[in-house]
Amino acid sequence: MAFVFAATIPVVVVFYLLKRRRTTRIVPSTLLWQRFLAETQASSPFQRLRHNWLLVLQVLLLLLAVMALARPYFGGELSSGRLQVVILDASASMRATDGKPTRFESAKVEALKLVAGLRDRDQMVVVQAGGFTEVRQSPTSLKSALRRAIEACSPSDAPTRLADALKLAETLTKDAPAAEIHLLSDGAAADLGEFDNKGLRIIYHRMGERGNNAAIVSMDVRGHPDDPTKRMVFATVANFSSNAVQTVLELRLEGTVLEARSLSLEARGSSPQVFTAQQGALEAIFTARLDLADDLLVDNEASVVSQLPRPVRALLVTPGNGFLEKALRSNPHVRLEVAPSLGVGKLDADVVVLDGVAPTVWPEVSMLAFRSARPGWFTNAIEAEVGGIVDWKPTHPLLRSVGLENIQIAKALVVKAPSWALNVVDAAQTPLVLAGEFQRHKVIWVGFDVYQSTWPLRVSFPIFIANALEWLSSGAAGGASTTMRTGDPLRLAVLEGLSAFEVTLPDQSKRSIKLEPGSRDILFGDTGRAGVYKVQAGALSARFALNISDPAESDIWPRDELRLGKHAGVGTTTLKRADLEAWRWIAAMGLGVLLWEWWYYHRRSV
Amino acid sequence: MKALLTPDLLRRLEQFQLLAKRRAKSSLRGERRSQSRGQSVEFADYRNYVAGDDLRYVDWNLYGRLDRFFLKLYEEERELPVTVFLDASESMGFGEPQKFDFARQVTAAIGYVALCGFDRVSVCLFPGLAGRPFSLKTGESSGGQEPSRESILARGALRSVRGRKSSMRFLENLARLAPGGKADFNESLKRGALEAPHAGVAVVLSDFLDVGGYESGLKALVSRGFQVSAVQILAPEELNPQAYGDLRLVDSETGLAQEVTFGRHRMEAYSRVVRQYVQRLREYCSGRGIHFFQCSSDCALEDLLLSQLREAEVWG
Repeated sequence: MAFVFAATIPVVVVFYLLKRRRTTRIVPSTLLWQRFLAETQASSPFQRLRHNWLLVLQVLLLLLAVMALARPYFGGELSSGRLQVVILDASASMRATDGKPTRFESAKVEALKLVAGLRDRDQMVVVQAGGFTEVRQSPTSLKSALRRAIEACSPSDAPTRLADALKLAETLTKDAPAAEIHLLSDGAAADLGEFDNKGLRIIYHRMGERGNNAAIVSMDVRGHPDDPTKRMVFATVANFSSNAVQTVLELRLEGTVLEARSLSLEARGSSPQVFTAQQGALEAIFTARLDLADDLLVDNEASVVSQLPRPVRALLVTPGNGFLEKALRSNPHVRLEVAPSLGVGKLDADVVVLDGVAPTVWPEVSMLAFRSARPGWFTNAIEAEVGGIVDWKPTHPLLRSVGLENIQIAKALVVKAPSWALNVVDAAQTPLVLAGEFQRHKVIWVGFDVYQSTWPLRVSFPIFIANALEWLSSGAAGGASTTMRTGDPLRLAVLEGLSAFEVTLPDQSKRSIKLEPGSRDILFGDTGRAGVYKVQAGALSARFALNISDPAESDIWPRDELRLGKHAGVGTTTLKRADLEAWRWIAAMGLGVLLWEWWYYHRRSV
Repeated sequence: MKALLTPDLLRRLEQFQLLAKRRAKSSLRGERRSQSRGQSVEFADYRNYVAGDDLRYVDWNLYGRLDRFFLKLYEEERELPVTVFLDASESMGFGEPQKFDFARQVTAAIGYVALCGFDRVSVCLFPGLAGRPFSLKTGESSGGQEPSRESILARGALRSVRGRKSSMRFLENLARLAPGGKADFNESLKRGALEAPHAGVAVVLSDFLDVGGYESGLKALVSRGFQVSAVQILAPEELNPQAYGDLRLVDSETGLAQEVTFGRHRMEAYSRVVRQYVQRLREYCSGRGIHFFQCSSDCALEDLLLSQLREAEVWG
């Protein structure tokens, strides 16, 4: 009969086999639940402990040792610990080789000394100031974490933004009255005037010994005024050392030496150099290199991407406007086509000029529109009489060499400037010329008919049209040169549908980056190294030359004093004496003795 | 369409102005003091006269005393760019009231204060439209995966707003937004930091519950020079869950399921996990000079706007 109860065994087994029935719920995020489960899931190792006096004693000793290491404390009145902010200058000048082995490495050694001198209750923050400011370690007393953070710092080729780092340090030390800011730098920073010191305790540790450096501080390429196939390369070489220097300046085109010039540079003098070179390809890279073994090598080379001028294809859509057509045709870099209306289909033009016509399909290219307004640009555009021009922006590229005095306008459209556009020329009650970027294309809008004004009769009209085409075609008509500084992000417009792009860095390492679906532009920010970057995005490829080009950075004479703001100055400081505690070493020795005792006991018992 | 902010609150907000610790760096003129010299009434410095300078700026009193020409320089006033990073992912559509509604109200208040102070406001929503499946459909706003045409237009209009006159349009456009899709918090903030032409004030409104963490995104904003404030908005049921028993919890964004057995006796352990998570975020922010605020979506909006933000000197 008792065996009947054996039938309950399968029931029990079934209970174990049955899955729990769970209610499904959708929650915003399971992140907190995952952490909750990780926190509450505990493993319980069961082990039978045998009574052993040695074990009890060892555990007791270990507990005491651990307690000592855990630094127990009693509640009482004690002053709070100091906060120290260590700012490591990671700019190009810190790569100068007059340190051991470089200034930056010397700064790291100095910072590690500061960590060693930290007292128990003191806290430290590690900030790296290169092209941008980065907190490498937030406030902590953990020396191992601080050492790790300092070891992980590395210098870049970007100019220093020490003022940003000091502002960040100011924010961090806002609630810590006894805080100290240790600035480990050579003082070669142009922006220190931006920072007004309001009673902060800044201790400046000067890095570097001397300033033996010559550099290429600027480089640019322009078209030759007489020969459009030739290019003029401008390079300024500066000597920042206190001795005269003899050197050779080489100009290379895509790695091939074109010319080498002997230069004699005076102490603290500079020498502008102009080269004339023949450029075959539409795009080429000119590189200038100083053959000189000075303390900072990275600024001895500079590159520039040079593009030959290419004709701008312009389409003028007009019912007939002789003035406009003549002004456009007078520009030798423009290939002009004239049409009475804009056809549907693929547009073969870089710039479209609309003269009072409203196309059914708006072209997706840059535009110069006279009175033509796309739906959505303006609300309630009414034609009215306007007096004359009352204000204009002479610094805008559209108005370069354009004088707008004594121009009469009879009628114009009275509109309100949309948010994407900037007023370039204004009448009393309306903007007359607007310029901006609408849906990724540049647009210039003129609110009056040129026949309703005296403008076409002035010399400023064809100059304005030439400036407008130059601006709309992004400088293609004049031949562009791209000079960028280290730390500037790379930007490139691409076609929609691209999923990834690849960047080749100056050290020839490659970086593949995924693009968000639907993105139409590339942004790449990791440009801390000087040299040529190559971006490959599908069939499109572009090269960017990034140089230091900063006289303040190349002038590597270590400053004895920093000028902060208008009046304040900070002098160099030497390290002060501090009592370094050694109890950790003694506690560790105690642990060692304990382990030895255990080993010795076991050896005897065997 | 329900108004985001009451007229009484709007009136009280008009008295505030965003406090910027750093000087304005935008290229457009505004109402903020900047490092540049230009035209305003604020005297900045003198400099020597050189041939070609505008004679109108010569200080004739000084000429009378010293017999030398000096030019008076004035501080140019520039605008302060204010960027609001608004989390519009699927997870923000939860809670009673919705977390997204609360975030939108805070955005409206910050935007309104900035617009009244003639600063430029940009609202960066993430996930962007590229990350969400959609088709251009006319019609009512949908709470699901497809944003309406209205919502798309509103997103575009919120990219850059300036001037007090635009404030009503700004509030209307905010009201048209709807949450949805999966966001990558860090990537969105990094991209926003790189795309911004000028650093200024940045306010991040999110639940900060992203599997990828939040560290590198916030770090990118601080590194770019933004003065950052972070507001973490959690739903009441995230702070005090009311669902008990054997549960299969499905993540609204990733779709991943998590099996949990939960009861009232484990509430304390859950609350501790939430407290630790918020505390870690708070410490991360304070270590980098970021203002941090945490609130539940059912808490009083006035308390955050009129008391907490004011005490932290975000505005005053």
